[in-house]
Order: sequence, then structure tokens, then C-alpha cells
Amino acid sequence: MRLLELENVTATYGKVAALHDLSIYIDEGEIVTLLGANGAGKSTTLRVISGLLKPRNGSVRFLGQTIAGHSPESIFRLGVAHVPERRRVFPGLTVRENFLLGGSNRRGGTRTELDADAERMFEIFPELRGFANALGWTLSGGQQQMVAIGRGLMSHPKILLLDEPSLGLGPLVVEQVYKVIADIRRTGTTVLLVEQNANMALSVADRGYVLETGHLVTQGRPAELWDNEEVRSAYLGGGHAQQA
Amino acid sequence: MSELASTTVTKKRVKGKVAAGSVIYLLVALAAIFLALHTSMPAYTRNLLMQTSTYAIAVLGLTIVLGYTGQINLGQAAFFGLGAYGVALGTTSFGLSFGTSLLLGTGIAALAGAALGLTTLRLGGHYLAMVTISFQTILSLVLTNWISLTHGPDGVPSIPRPVRFQGGNAYLALCIAVLAVVAYLVWWLRRTKLGRALQATRDNELAAGVVGVDTFQSKVIAFALSALLGGLGGGFFAGGFAYISPDQFSFNESVVFLTMALLGGCRLPVGTVFGTGLLIMLPEWLRFLKIIYLAVYGGAVILIMVFMPDGIFGYLAVLWRRLRPAAAIDTAGLAPLRLSQQAASEGARTLLKVTELTKHFGGVKAVDGVDMAVQSNTVHALIGPNGSGKTTLLNVLSGIYRPTGGRVEFDGSEITQLKPFQRAGHGLGRTFQNIRLFGDMNVLDNVRVGADRPGNVIEDGLAGDPVERRALAALEFVGLANRAQEAVGSLSYGHQRLVEIARALAGNPKLLLLDEPGAGLNHVEKDALVALLQRLKEHGLTVLIIDHDMRLVEQVADRITVLNFGRHIADGIPAEVLRNPDVIVAYLGKVNTNAAPRA
Amino acid sequence: MGIALQLLFTGLGIGSIYALVALGFVLIFRATNVVNFAQGDFAMLGAFAMVILAVELGFSYWLSILITVVIMAAFGALFNLGVYYPLRNRTFLPVIISTIGASILLENGMLAAHGPQPQSLPSLFDSPGFSLGPVFFDTQYLVILAVTLAMVVFQYLLFERTLLGKKMQATSQDKEMASMLGIPVAWMIMITFMYSSVLGGLAGILVAPILFVSVGMGSSIALKAFAASIIGGFGDVSGAIVGGLTLGVVETFGAAYISVPYKDAFAFLVLLIFLLFRPQGLFGEKVGEKA
Repeated sequence: MRLLELENVTATYGKVAALHDLSIYIDEGEIVTLLGANGAGKSTTLRVISGLLKPRNGSVRFLGQTIAGHSPESIFRLGVAHVPERRRVFPGLTVRENFLLGGSNRRGGTRTELDADAERMFEIFPELRGFANALGWTLSGGQQQMVAIGRGLMSHPKILLLDEPSLGLGPLVVEQVYKVIADIRRTGTTVLLVEQNANMALSVADRGYVLETGHLVTQGRPAELWDNEEVRSAYLGGGHAQQA
Repeated sequence: MSELASTTVTKKRVKGKVAAGSVIYLLVALAAIFLALHTSMPAYTRNLLMQTSTYAIAVLGLTIVLGYTGQINLGQAAFFGLGAYGVALGTTSFGLSFGTSLLLGTGIAALAGAALGLTTLRLGGHYLAMVTISFQTILSLVLTNWISLTHGPDGVPSIPRPVRFQGGNAYLALCIAVLAVVAYLVWWLRRTKLGRALQATRDNELAAGVVGVDTFQSKVIAFALSALLGGLGGGFFAGGFAYISPDQFSFNESVVFLTMALLGGCRLPVGTVFGTGLLIMLPEWLRFLKIIYLAVYGGAVILIMVFMPDGIFGYLAVLWRRLRPAAAIDTAGLAPLRLSQQAASEGARTLLKVTELTKHFGGVKAVDGVDMAVQSNTVHALIGPNGSGKTTLLNVLSGIYRPTGGRVEFDGSEITQLKPFQRAGHGLGRTFQNIRLFGDMNVLDNVRVGADRPGNVIEDGLAGDPVERRALAALEFVGLANRAQEAVGSLSYGHQRLVEIARALAGNPKLLLLDEPGAGLNHVEKDALVALLQRLKEHGLTVLIIDHDMRLVEQVADRITVLNFGRHIADGIPAEVLRNPDVIVAYLGKVNTNAAPRA
Repeated sequence: MGIALQLLFTGLGIGSIYALVALGFVLIFRATNVVNFAQGDFAMLGAFAMVILAVELGFSYWLSILITVVIMAAFGALFNLGVYYPLRNRTFLPVIISTIGASILLENGMLAAHGPQPQSLPSLFDSPGFSLGPVFFDTQYLVILAVTLAMVVFQYLLFERTLLGKKMQATSQDKEMASMLGIPVAWMIMITFMYSSVLGGLAGILVAPILFVSVGMGSSIALKAFAASIIGGFGDVSGAIVGGLTLGVVETFGAAYISVPYKDAFAFLVLLIFLLFRPQGLFGEKVGEKA
């Protein structure tokens, strides 16, 4: 049984169709990446999975169970953690508090375990230790990204949805973030990674899907997608990408 | 001549309907006045009718400021009170005539309203509500405590009426006549340029400014007019009841006015008058409920907000529109849209010049020293990955953000510090990524607002309404003239996008800024968009376009500027720019030499 | 000097009432972006509940307080479901108007149920107070200050030390993100309304022995509480407290040194000055940043 499966999903924002007939899947333990230019529907796909957007058509199944149309809170409890675009660290709460909140609604676990987990986050992100009591809004973009990822991990999710972690970050910080993502891979957490920065994403992923204006145009392993003309044209035009 | 004839015929048909309606209204008003003069009725009934008509005049002020302009005014009773005390004190304390006192009271009210409107420069929403409440409360306190002037809680007795209208019936007839005139004027206001400006401010203040509406001025005028009508109603109220006291003009009364406006439907004068009458009569009919009726009234407000936010007449109007779909406009006779830039003979010049433009938000450098030049008669594209600063740059160009540094020059003039509506006045047009149409106006009115922009030369020497002609011509250019009378909400997304473009074109722009015009369009609609852009190019219009669809950009752009991290990293013709390695890296990222690709 | 100190004490006392109401109002605003015009009527309800329970039905004072708190909590839940929840996705105007309607409903409902006669509620303590130098410390005012202090401490502990408080803060900072972390947003809002209602009711219980208990007492307190929260910085919790205290002191000094009849006007004059020159209040962030 696949961990997560989308079949023929169509999703709209009011009158605007954002996803057309999308079918993708993820198996446990994989890192899969969704690539595409802005407006391709990548973030929309994550929002459909985590329950922020109800799809018009199609099915979304997590561990065999239909989750389309369920509330974000209930989908979260099944083990889906969504780290959104632009991080959205709670600005008026400290780093430690952000971590604690990440785990505060998972199934089971005592307060002591929660505190211990938060401590563990500071081992994964040692550069945050000095900022444990700093308020969210005072952090840099890179630090906020670390906090957001850590907050997502606190719930011991079965799958981590990462939305454009490199957005707005300088190249050095992006490398740091991706090192963390590669480490997460090693712990066995499944990751669905949405990225515009295709090459960075392909350097950590097992497989990739390429979206263009809401349609799936190509997919494959990094070696196949690397330097792929179709991928480039999906971003920069001038190619013959298929139109579903 | 025949081309114009069809348009004239269409407009005559519409005008005919309006004229017929006006005649009917006039007859009804005259009948009401006649009845008031000649029906004998108990004083009690006469008082109710007098209260209804004077209140309705004041509540029509709320139609303007709240219904048309969308600004909350919780102090209407204060303006009502200013008018009432103007008449009361003017006649009894200062010996002025009724007419002079009325003028004085109404004038003071209007000035106070304008002053209140000035606060909207920096405040809106809850803050504005608080300002109006503060004004209301302070005025109530002054009326109660400045005893030497206002007689305090004792009130002012023996207020006289105008010489010719002493009798009860005569005065009632006068009130009804004034109400009839005011209601007609408020109705007519909706169709004027000012009325459109007010509604645009209500529906989408940001877009209104960008399209050329001076939204601040509109709000001040709305408040002034609202206060003027409040004062007018108050003045007649004072004359009608001969005695006034401060507690009639308290915050509670402002709430009553607001409820009256909302119940009937604050956007329609007929609804306002109906709501006022209903809420004055209702307590009489609900007498049997005795003391609970006010509580029921409060509960009713909640229910109205939940189930009928547009009020009774608003709800009926929606039904009416559904039953009688909008008439199609005969487009055969429309003259083609004239766009300003058939001036290819002038030769290329730099139309838009951006120098070292910077915009910081706190520590984030969204735009970091960008240089860009857009030549006339070209399509210039601005591209870059998500977060590169494109939209911020466009917002600085529109005047929505004030730049932290740098300069913007448009057709030789420096526009860096100008407000959005002033830039529209210079000939800068714009559409938005998330379509910003005026949701409660129809297609034609939306485009008319564009044509209304300051400095737009539309006088063509022909008979009739040049603004309407220009708007229709713009709609015809994008192929939607036959849907001009429909509500914008009923159009498909792609068509709404076209209406937005027509709105900008109606303003005869020198430069058209298009913010992701392709967003949300399907392939068919995108192809149509490309065709439209190419047609605009043929007409010599200059366009600056942001979009992510490179296929679209390739087909229309003469020149591309690429942004990344707020700086420009490339600038040139499409063929070069899209193959530029820096650009490719910006979009796809560097090849990460540390991690080997997984097989 | 003695008079000034006395006025200060009195001003802080009445300011605490404003602070309690403002606090409840700000909490609702932060969680839901709603300006609750009926907030003052929560105080009115609390005061009337005390009158009915302690004076008319003869329950003991402490029992009456307990029952009133429970009633106010339940009322807060009802208010959430009936007035806010149906309109939670609309723009701010319908919601403001709906709360105005609720205010009318509450005031006139109470009028219908209990009649127009103002009531009085005796103080909890028999002794009227004590003197210390030039200042007379009225017992009821001391009680008000003590309870307000206790609520501020409770508020601090709740928000800073408990996970529930953190969840409530998260909900008011970013509702959608909170739901993505599994935080039950609808419940957080419910709790906020219930807590705000209790705060309002407490203010009513505290101020009742000083003023007459009438159906209109809530409105005037509410308007001043709004003014207080704007002065302190709209949406800022500590701003509500500071704003309330400041307003109480300004008003009391104004009444004593300038004019008694215009006492109420001072609140609004100060408010207007803030709105015109510093709308973000003492602690708030800048209002509006567009060109």
C-alpha cells in the first residue's frame, strides 16, 4: 500500500483551476519532489493533501484512507505535517514555544516527552540553541526555515510536506537547509518536497514530478530529469512540453 | 452616420426607460404630497409620517457614505442633532428665519462631516468607527452640558415652522416633498462620475486608486454629503416636532439610523426609505409585544446580518436581476477604440525609466537597486523566480508602495512620490494578478471608472456621453461589449481578466502594466490573451508585463528584464536572456556538486 | 498633594474596570479580528446576575459570584455560536453590526426582564475603608485593584506558562498555521469568548457596588474600554491594561480639575488625539504602510 496517493485530482480556487487531473504517489521512506515554475500548482498540491483545500474531483488516500475533504486538524493527527511556504513561524512566540506547539497536538506523549523532543531539535539545529528564547519575528529567513522544519518534525510525522524551503534564502543558507533535509531522509521520514530550485531538489530526491500550469508533464528519477530539456522548458519555455 | 445611429438608438432605448421611470416617480411623489395636504388624519399618524420622512432624509445620508462608499458612520445622529439645533437655536435664540437657520445648521453639519472625512486619510475600519463614535459622544455631551447655548437637558421648545407651512398637513407635505427630491438626487448620484468613484472606493479601494480615483477625496465628499443630509433631516425634524432635547441625538439614535439603513438595504434609496418607515411603524404594530420589542429589534439586526446582509430591497434586487437578465447592448455602431500611441512617427523614446530603485520592508530587501528602461511602442517583460521582487517592483511603479530609494521617471516626468491615482492621470494603466474588479458594479460601469481617470481626453465632439462611448469601445476591443450590462461576478475568470484590461484601456494609457495576466487562464484563454497583446502592440501601445509562462512571454516580448533577489541580473532580447546561464541558474538552481544524483 | 494622590487611587480603581473590559475585548479581537461592541454588556450582565442572585434570591455573596462566573462563561459560548460563528467568514462590517445588534438585544432584553429601575448591589465587605495619611482607601476600590492584579497575573501565567495559552496565542497570530499543527482553532476561539465574557462579568461584579446597576451601564464602560485599548495600542494585551489605567486616571483628574459634566468627554478627546496623531497607540505597531 502506498503511503500517499493522489488520483485524478482536480482543484480550483473559486473559478481558477489550479490542478487538472493530477495523479502522483509516494512510498514510505522516499523523498519525492514536485517541480515546476510559479503557478504550476505545486503548493496547491500540498494544500490539498494537508486539508487546506478541498479538491473538486479525484481521490487523496493516506495509508489507504481517504482524506480529501477532511479538516487540517484531523489530517495532521494521521501523521501529515505541512511546513508551509514562507515558513510561517509564529512571530510572537519563541523558538522553543514554536517547537512545543509542533508536537502539542500529536497522539499521545506527555509534557516531559514533549520537552525532551524540543531539546532534541536543538541538537539537530545547533545554530538555534542560542536563540531558544528569541521571538519568531526576530529570526532571519534561514533560521525561521530551520524552526519551521523542526516544528514539523516535532509531531513525529509519517510524512513531511515541505513547501519551497529555499524560497527567499541565500545560496549558503539553502545548502544548510538541504543538508538538514538529507539528514531527515536518513532517519526514514518520508518527505514530499516542493521546490522551484530544481537542481537542489533533485540532489536529495529519489524521484521527481514536474508540473506545468496544473498538469503533470513529466516524472522520473533525478538522473532522468537532470539536464532534461522538458524540465527546462517547463520553467523557461521554448520547448515542446506535453499538454494533458 | 448610420454607425452612430445604432448606438444612438440603443442609448435612446435605455434613456427612454430611465425617463419613464422618472415620470412615474414624479407622479407618485406628487400624489403623496397631494394626499398629505388634503387627507385629514389624527395628529398621531401625522407625527409618525413626519418622523418617517425627516428620519429618511438623514438615513439617505447613510446610503451615500455606507451604501455607496462603504465607510462606517456611527455618528449620523450627531449630524441630525447639529441640523436640529441649528434650526432650533437659530430661530428661538437668534431670531433668524427658518430657512436661514436650516442653511446654517445644515452647513455646520456638512463641515463637521468633511472634517470627520479628513480622518480617513490614515484611518479606516474599526478606527474610523471609533472616530465617529467619539465625535457622536462628544457632541452629545456638549449638547447636554453647554447650557447657556443649548439649554441643556431641558431642550429647546417652541420651534417655529416656515411662514407658509404652519399647518400640520402643509408641513408634512413639505417634508415629503423634500424627501422626494433628496431621494431622487441620491438615486441619480449613483449614475454620475462621483457615484462611480464612491462605489469603486467601496468595492476595491486599492484598485480604485490605481485606476485613477482619488479615494481620499471621495471619502471626504461622502462624509460631507452624509452629514449634510443628516443635518437637513434634523432641521426639518426640529420644525416638525417644535421641541428637541439632547437625548434624541445620542449614540443610540445613531444605531437606530444604521439599523434603518441596513434593514431596507443601504445601497438602494428605495430600500433606505422603506427600512426607515418599517422601523418607525414596527414598534407601533408590535405594541403588543410591549417592552420586548426593542430586544426583538436587536435580535433582528443580527438575523439581518446573517441572512440578508443586503437588506430587504437588496435581496429583492438580486432576485429581480436573476429573473430579468441584463439586456444586451447593440454594438454595431461603435467607433473603434482610439489608443494614444499611433505615434510611431515620434520614434522610440524611453517611456519608463527606473533608476537604482530600492524597496525595503524592515530588514528584507525586496527590491535592491534595480535599473530598467522601457522603450515606447515595445512589449517589455519582467521575469524572475518566486520571491525575486517583481510584484514589489510593480507595486512601487503603481505607487502602492513608497520606494526606499531610487527614482521612477515616466515620459520625462518624475513620478517617484506620486500617489496611484495621480500616476493614472499621467497615463499609467495597470491590471492585477488577483483580478481586482469592482464586484458590485456591472461590466460597463467597471470600465467607465477607467475612462473617468483624470486627464483622460475623451471629448470627441459627438452628442451623448463620451465616457460611455469610450468604455463601450474598450469593451468591444476585448470582445465583451455585448455583455456590458451584466454583473461582473457572472463572467468567467478569463472574461473578468479581459474586463480588467478593458478598464485600463479605457483610460487611454501610455504604458500598460500587466501583472501576470495569464494567471489562472486555461490554454484557450491564454492564446486569446496573446492575440490581444499582439493587437495592442500593433496599435503602438507600450506594455510592461510580468508573467511566469515563458511561452507567453516569448511570443509577445521585445525585451526581457530578469530579477533575482531584488536585483536585475539580465536584460536583453528574449532569445539571449532565456539562454543566459545566470538566468537558468536563477530558476533551476545551481547543480549541487556535493550530492550525487541518485540513480 | 493629598488630593492628587486620592485622585490617583480613585483613577486607578476605575481604570482597572476599563482595563478588565478592554482586556476581554482585545483578546476577542486578536483571536477573531472582531470588534465586539457588546463587550460592555457582559459587565452589565455580570452585575445584574449578582443583583438577582445575591440581593433578590438571597444567596451568599461568594456563591453568587461563583454562579455568575459560570453563567458568564456559558454566555460567552452562546455569544460565540450565535453572533460570531455564523459571520466568521464575512468582512468586518457585518460582524461589527451584528455585535451592535447583540448589544441592543442584551440591553433591552434585560430591560424587559428586570424593568428600568436601577438597582444597587452592596459591597462584599462591611468596612468602608481606611485612611492612610491624606488618602482614604475605599475598600471596594482596593478590591477592584486586587482582583485586577490577580487577573493580570493569571493572564500572564496562562499565556506564558501553559500550553493552552500558547495555543491560544498561536491561533490569534496565524489561524491557518495553527490548524496545520493540529490545534483545534474553533475551540481556541470558543475558549477566548468564554474567558472574555468572564472578564467582562467580573468587571461588572466589581464596579456594581460603586455605580448603580442599570441596563445602560455597559455601553458607557464599553466605549471607554475601546478608547483604552486604542490608546494602549489596538490588539496589544498589555496595552489594554495600561490604556485602561491611563484613561481612568485622566478621566478622574479631568473631572476634578477641569469639569465634572464633561468627564466622559475626556476619554474621547484623548482617543481622538491618539487616533489622529498616533493611531498605533502606546504599544501597537504602525497602522498602515502604503504610499
